[in-house]
Amino acid sequence: MCGLAHYFESEGLATVLVGFVREHMEAIEPARALWLDFPMGRPMGKPNDPVYQLKVIRAAFELLEAPFGPVLQDFAEVIPVRDGRMGYALPPGLVLTTADIGDLNALLAEVRAEIEALRPAYDEAVAARGRTTVGASELAIENLAPHIAAFVRGEKPRSPRKGLSPVPALKLVVEDLQAYYTEARTYRDGIDDFELMGKWFWEETRAGWLLLLLEAVSLETEDRVLRQIVDMSLITPRFWSEGPLPGTSGSGW
Amino acid sequence: MAKITEMPAVGRGFISELEMPEIEHPAWTPPVPASERRISIVSTAAVSRRGEKPFSWLARDYRIIPKDERDLVMTHVAVEFDRTAWQQDLNAILPLDRLDEMAQDGEIGSVADEHYAFMGAADPRDMEKSAREVAGRMKQEGVNTVFLIPV
Repeated sequence: MCGLAHYFESEGLATVLVGFVREHMEAIEPARALWLDFPMGRPMGKPNDPVYQLKVIRAAFELLEAPFGPVLQDFAEVIPVRDGRMGYALPPGLVLTTADIGDLNALLAEVRAEIEALRPAYDEAVAARGRTTVGASELAIENLAPHIAAFVRGEKPRSPRKGLSPVPALKLVVEDLQAYYTEARTYRDGIDDFELMGKWFWEETRAGWLLLLLEAVSLETEDRVLRQIVDMSLITPRFWSEGPLPGTSGSGW
Repeated sequence: MAKITEMPAVGRGFISELEMPEIEHPAWTPPVPASERRISIVSTAAVSRRGEKPFSWLARDYRIIPKDERDLVMTHVAVEFDRTAWQQDLNAILPLDRLDEMAQDGEIGSVADEHYAFMGAADPRDMEKSAREVAGRMKQEGVNTVFLIPV
């Protein structure tokens, strides 16, 4: 982000940015930058809080009044995070193996029941918000879990998206499934707490269990790309864990 | 966000080892007065209009987000950031409504017709060509101020 700012400045466009990693902002020195002590994923601070969002924007735009630069300023307010982590992280000990797979059809039935139970809340959320973020995979909601289960069985179903190979598409299927759950829950229960939502989805739902099984299968697969998404923490949230998933670097970038 | 030294081990290791681009001759463009600002947002959240080509994992390209578009999906490669905020409110990452309100109140001049999304996981040096192309589009529609927002 800081690097991009330099390109725009050199094209004669004044820039101002907000950013999360102060050390990077200090090193790259964009023309005008506001450091946010916020969790990642929330650059405007708080959803559904126009007053707070405007406060962030106005603090950033004030930097456009600086006569010279580079200018790096800290936003006055902090949104605290837990133990320095910027998002939810699975407990390092919560790791499944392929021995945990069991009756996959029974698990799928449980996930289907969860999805149906959440459907009224999801539909209300979409109606109230006027939008949904579900759909990047272009797979219908009822087909998300069966598609994932096929990978757990060792199959490699066709990508639902033209031009996208099966494993990158699988990642979008996983994200659609999670978004369906959290969009429904955040709306139904009025929750804005990503730690709570992460804990619920990954540690308490059957959908989360299905995805942990997918991770277990991916750890043993010979498919290089599928293995890569586990090494890079691209499906299960382990980036902010205290330790990497056993058998991986946890950050295979 | 917490300082790098305060982060848990895996994330700390990754973020602290990222290679920073070196800018030899940083440019400085004097901003225009607030009332004349025409603002375009550049987001690195890898969002795009529904049905558009997903971003690849280290994409160098960009997507155009029209000012009034709200039906967006995200195809960012990373999962380490919170996605529940933008699920609840697009303005949590792309504050188009807030900029509109500021323009209506006269705090800024106007909001651009086009905004832009990149894949934040990519090396910015690989995105230079796209960034300059975007800058050209911005200048064509009279943009003079860019608000860059990560995710």
